[in-house]
Amino acid sequence: MAIRVNPKLIGELKRYGAEDVHNCYHCGNCSAVCTHADDVFVFPRRPMRFLQMGLEKRIEGILDPWLCYYCGQCSSQCPRGAEPGETMMSLRRWLTSRYDFTGISKLFYQSWKAEIAAILIVALLTASGFLWYGVSHGDIQTYDGPSAFLPSSMVHIFDWAMASVLVLLLGINSIRMWWLTTGSNEKTRGPWWAYLKCLYLLPLHFFTQKRYGKCETRRSWLIHLALMLSYVTMLVLIMFFLRLLQDGPGIRWAVHSFGYLASAGLLFTIGYAVYGRIRKTEVHLNHSHESDWIFLWMLLLVTATGVLQHVLHRTGTGMAANVAYLIHLALVVPMLTLEVPFSKWSHLAYRPLAMYLGDIHRIALARRPQAARAMESLKMAS
Amino acid sequence: MAQLKIGVYVCNCGTNIAHTVDADSIVETVWKIPDVTIARSYRYMCSNPGQEMIINDIQGLELDRVVVAACSPRMHERTFRNACKSGGINPYLFEMANIREQCSWVHSADRLSATAKALALTKAAISRVRCHEPLDPLTAEMCPSTLVLGAGIAGMTAALELALAGHPVCLVEKTDRLGGNLARLDLTAPYLYSARDVLQERMVRIRQTENISVLLNSQLKSLTGFIGNFTATIANGNPSADEKVLHVGNVVVATGYKEFDAARITHYGYGKLPDVITSFEFERMLRTGRILTKAGKEPRYAAIIHCVGSRNKEFHGYCSRVCCMTALKYAQEIKGAIPECYVSDLYIDMHAFGKGCEDFYKKSSEVKTLFLMYGKNERPVIRKAEPGDDCEMLIEIDEKLSGERIEIPADLVILMVGMEAREDSGEVARLVNISQDKDGWFMESHPKLDPVATTTEGIYIAGTCVAPKDIPDSVAQARAAAGRILGRIAKGKIEIDGVFAEVNEDRCSGCRMCNELCPYSAIEFDETKKRSHVIAAACKACGCCVAACPSGAIKGRHFTDQQIYAQIEGVLA
Repeated sequence: MAIRVNPKLIGELKRYGAEDVHNCYHCGNCSAVCTHADDVFVFPRRPMRFLQMGLEKRIEGILDPWLCYYCGQCSSQCPRGAEPGETMMSLRRWLTSRYDFTGISKLFYQSWKAEIAAILIVALLTASGFLWYGVSHGDIQTYDGPSAFLPSSMVHIFDWAMASVLVLLLGINSIRMWWLTTGSNEKTRGPWWAYLKCLYLLPLHFFTQKRYGKCETRRSWLIHLALMLSYVTMLVLIMFFLRLLQDGPGIRWAVHSFGYLASAGLLFTIGYAVYGRIRKTEVHLNHSHESDWIFLWMLLLVTATGVLQHVLHRTGTGMAANVAYLIHLALVVPMLTLEVPFSKWSHLAYRPLAMYLGDIHRIALARRPQAARAMESLKMAS
Repeated sequence: MAQLKIGVYVCNCGTNIAHTVDADSIVETVWKIPDVTIARSYRYMCSNPGQEMIINDIQGLELDRVVVAACSPRMHERTFRNACKSGGINPYLFEMANIREQCSWVHSADRLSATAKALALTKAAISRVRCHEPLDPLTAEMCPSTLVLGAGIAGMTAALELALAGHPVCLVEKTDRLGGNLARLDLTAPYLYSARDVLQERMVRIRQTENISVLLNSQLKSLTGFIGNFTATIANGNPSADEKVLHVGNVVVATGYKEFDAARITHYGYGKLPDVITSFEFERMLRTGRILTKAGKEPRYAAIIHCVGSRNKEFHGYCSRVCCMTALKYAQEIKGAIPECYVSDLYIDMHAFGKGCEDFYKKSSEVKTLFLMYGKNERPVIRKAEPGDDCEMLIEIDEKLSGERIEIPADLVILMVGMEAREDSGEVARLVNISQDKDGWFMESHPKLDPVATTTEGIYIAGTCVAPKDIPDSVAQARAAAGRILGRIAKGKIEIDGVFAEVNEDRCSGCRMCNELCPYSAIEFDETKKRSHVIAAACKACGCCVAACPSGAIKGRHFTDQQIYAQIEGVLA
């Protein structure tokens, strides 16, 4: 049965950053230089072809874009300037919007103004909420302790409530990703035990991103790893040790030393990325979608205001520290609630999940009858 | 027989011969044959020292016959004949034994037998050369006028080139206008020059050039004679008009091609679906300046299908060479006129050879053409769309780069029809006595080294009557043909090889059997004498007539019975 092409898809992807896909004439150089492409996951070439032809259902059903870490080798080897690396990036954005059941992701990726507006609204709501709480329950001059303007016990409960909502949203989208790529296709669904056998891959890829290390540019992996570990450290401190973190004015080295290290890591890696994207120092930083900039600037502002409130508190200006804290919260809440489930940050779930599902695909395909596999590989080769 | 002085030279050809054949033992053996004055072997006989060896021996030892045992005569017969001439003896008092292609190369495993065979061949040559007679080449006048058949870009260019060099040209065109198939085109790929501009310049110059006479609505009726001395009869389409008889020295055949009839492929629905059109119909559309469907609407989806009639077992196996770039031109032109139109290009392989073509291909990708690859000997299928489909037609293809069977929308389908030999090409080939290949294209004398000459001297071919080709190649061929002819005209006289057939008129019964047999139309019948005679200039010395003549009246010069028997005896000796 013939599949009807969607002539509009390629135009739609332009909004997600894929501008040069037409130039590709399928020499296959990109897949040849890619350290991750193999005969099951033939990327970037296969997704490029599906996209050129407008085979929407096919793109929805593949994991390929998530298996790419965008080292940019493919783009620099492309004789036609078709930017396969950037196309994979754009497909990740498009897939994120496809996995998202709310439609918010699609709106954000297609319009940066909508994303900024949403951030502003959430920021204003957060700021006014905390301001109201602080004014009615505490003292603006006090930063820590029971009578604090924004007491750690209240913020702690708020953090956990927010985290639960985020996990729920991302969880639903991840299940949708499983269904589109794996569950709905009997060829790749795999046996139940495969899901258990491969389970270790989720934390492994989440924490090490070891596949990234196999890319040609090892430095990008190290930078990304530093950014991720710094953030996770900060997250752990905030989610579990918020009271210790906020209490002062003395410095608790057991907690704060981790905080300083994480902050330094964040500032350095964000600075590196911002500089790289402005100066276009590396292939994978040449093209920046609006969503990349919004994410980076939000992260930078959040880190900066986090550091600022800490410094102001320790130097003894309670009120200034509280104002900085309020701004920090007004930035961190929209960043987390909007970026994690609906935008660039969702890759924290989709990428390890794709590695996990990828191995399930391999197990499922290997179990298929020889003849069927031969036919499929033939089809792929032709 | 009088005492002869024969020189025998055995070539080693580096190791090509010496590796398998013991040249020195041959020298030793032939030395003992009576009349062999000198026998030598040498590393490369064709080299300057090798040739000088022959020249010095002819002069020093007063040789009157020379035998060289070396490679094929096709390779170096001319070289050694010239050496004989330089030495002072008639070049035909020379014979060559082929001990390379027909001996050392094919018997490399058995040195003893190969040497024996090489010796037999050398002896045969010695035996034959005794019977050789001195022959002299003939000369004939070269008429400076040229007949050019076909007034397309190739014919016009050849005519202008010859006329501007100061020689009269008669340009004969079958239709009522100049320009040929090029006049049906809009822009040309890859530089997008206007076909009209390209032609206009040629046409104006032809009209301004006095020594070109243009005969429109005319066709060649017959051609007799030989190089330098042809007589052509030109018939006018108007039956009441008189036939024109011309005396010409050379002929350029530039009769062009015709396009493949798309209706022969039923899958495409050409002739049934109104918006399936051929590339020539689309060119007409482009020249009027508006791209519209039959219903008068701008197409939202346009599909271009390559290789219609080309590169296919059922129709033509060859590539028509110009369609790929023309298709890319269409993609760019449609995108230029209707930017939001979805243009798909269905190809087998993209042949973007030649100057500027790869860039042109890239440009077509940049304007966002969707390239879809289908398999050789497969065919996309076009069907009418249903009302809900939002397009006029749907094309189904097995897309090779993805391995998917897909369906694409189309409001307008352009079929890139290939080139094929014209229906009258067989008739033209017969009239001017040249050959055609299996597809009907005219054959070159040598496809690489002599691409505009034919096996008939004085008849040249240029342009798309030879094979599908683009404008630059057609023009280059036309100029090459003109260049060849100008070279012959500049010499003034033509030299004819001394080897040809001769009719002994006393023995000829006038049965005319040879007239029909001669593949080169080189035998004429003299009605007054009732005898056949050979036109030496047209004769290729194939020997057909010699073998066929029931009266034994025809002698092949340099291939007499006596010479051939002597050769056979030599082998057997």
